[in-house]
Amino acid sequence: MSQDAALTSPERPSPSTQRVAALGALAIELARAGRDLYGVFVRTLFYTVRGRYERGAVLRQMYLMGNQSLFFLTVVMGFIGMILVLQGGLQAERIVPDPTLIGSTYLELLIRDLAASIGALMLATRVGAGIAAEIGSMVVTEQVDALRMCAADPIDYLIKPRFIASVVMTTVLIIWSATIATLTGMGTAYLFFEISPNIFFDLRLVDFGDLSVGLVKCLAYGAAIPIVSGYCGLSTYGGSEGVGWATTRAVVNSSLAVIMLNFFISGAAFLLIGA
Amino acid sequence: MISFRNLKKTFGTKEVLKGVSFDVHDGEVFFIIGASGVGKSVLIKHLIGLIAPDDGEIWLDGEEISRFDERRMYDVRKKCAMVFQHATLFDSLTCVENVALPLRKHKGLKPKEAAAEAMRRLAQVQMEEFAHRHPPELGDGMRKRVAIARALTMDPRYVLFDEPTTSLDPVSARRVDKLIRELSDTLGVTSIVVSHDLTSIFSIADRIVMLYRGEVRLLGTPDDFRRANDPIIDQFIHGRATGPMET
Repeated sequence: MSQDAALTSPERPSPSTQRVAALGALAIELARAGRDLYGVFVRTLFYTVRGRYERGAVLRQMYLMGNQSLFFLTVVMGFIGMILVLQGGLQAERIVPDPTLIGSTYLELLIRDLAASIGALMLATRVGAGIAAEIGSMVVTEQVDALRMCAADPIDYLIKPRFIASVVMTTVLIIWSATIATLTGMGTAYLFFEISPNIFFDLRLVDFGDLSVGLVKCLAYGAAIPIVSGYCGLSTYGGSEGVGWATTRAVVNSSLAVIMLNFFISGAAFLLIGA
Repeated sequence: MISFRNLKKTFGTKEVLKGVSFDVHDGEVFFIIGASGVGKSVLIKHLIGLIAPDDGEIWLDGEEISRFDERRMYDVRKKCAMVFQHATLFDSLTCVENVALPLRKHKGLKPKEAAAEAMRRLAQVQMEEFAHRHPPELGDGMRKRVAIARALTMDPRYVLFDEPTTSLDPVSARRVDKLIRELSDTLGVTSIVVSHDLTSIFSIADRIVMLYRGEVRLLGTPDDFRRANDPIIDQFIHGRATGPMET
């Protein structure tokens, strides 16, 4: 038998067939993961409305997410504020003679998009990794099986408190982040472009639509991070290596979820309330 | 009575169970033995719905349960408790809170009622003085006893033990063996024990099934195993490093 004949024989699919099969398998796997993720989301919402609450569970998660992310977010958003105003100001100086408008433009951008999106990306790494690692460890040490033996649904017992805590604390932390980025941006504008804080803090361009879009993003990101990370944690398999993979997937997928949600919410907002 | 009928399970390309069938009678201490990775823990997790079979049936007290959904499995899990290999207590809860958890979730008891009942269960395993400690503060044997107390809270008819004496010192291991035997003798509980511990197997087992390459190799009493003229079984029960057994 020639080599070509061997490659196309029924026992051994051709390379192109193998590639199609691999793509098909990937598509099926993605569809299955999407369905499971949707299932986790729906059940989390169900338990949030109908489930019983463990005393202190939500508060404990709020403390963990909020307090332990505060310093990290403060530092990151402080620097982001400085960088954005500095780079934005340098570019603006080339085009317009008066850089004083930088404050109002920056604040609109910050409130409508950047505070929520950059803050949520930071939270996806900090909070998402923590959720996936904790739940993943519980899966590989059979604690999640033990929960199911106690008639405690892991989504009710583990994901719901993190979901509620994340929705609340993401909003709070992003408002805090926006405040920090505003202050550091204000300082940068004063030092580098001699724009006084009074002129910088110009909210003329910020309207109800910007606030609404910013708030919707906070809530959406706050909901997405624990759902995606919790799902990654619950689908952990193997030992400590599996927990590592689950953590990595949680960070990557939560970040992707934030970026995709940003696109869809911004697009919907543009269609509904304009630029 | 519990019956496994032609149970099959494959993970990826690995066929773990290739059609396993046997019965477990009421009130007996039944051991499942075999080399590591042969599917012993996988098999018992099928019974409580933690793993779904690819094919085959599982009968519990005259009811076929292998296709039950999670909600219907709650009733099965009231009848069949499980003590996991590493005790799997929740580190954030005290011992009494760990034991009270199934009482609150399964029976819907209020926290105070559940705690009082949990204390009684802890006393059964001589762990009441450690009730307010957290699991990381206890030794392996103590954690295992708390896990047994938690398993007993629902007054189960069947208790599944996944390697209950692994990682225990010999004294703690024999205490756990004694506890398992007493459950059967005094309360009529049926115990299904996954184990490699030859001392446990030949001191408390009523019957034993050995799995090998995803199938039942031998089902019988400890004496049947001692008398078996099978080199694989002979190697396993004498713990010989060399022989025909694939591990």
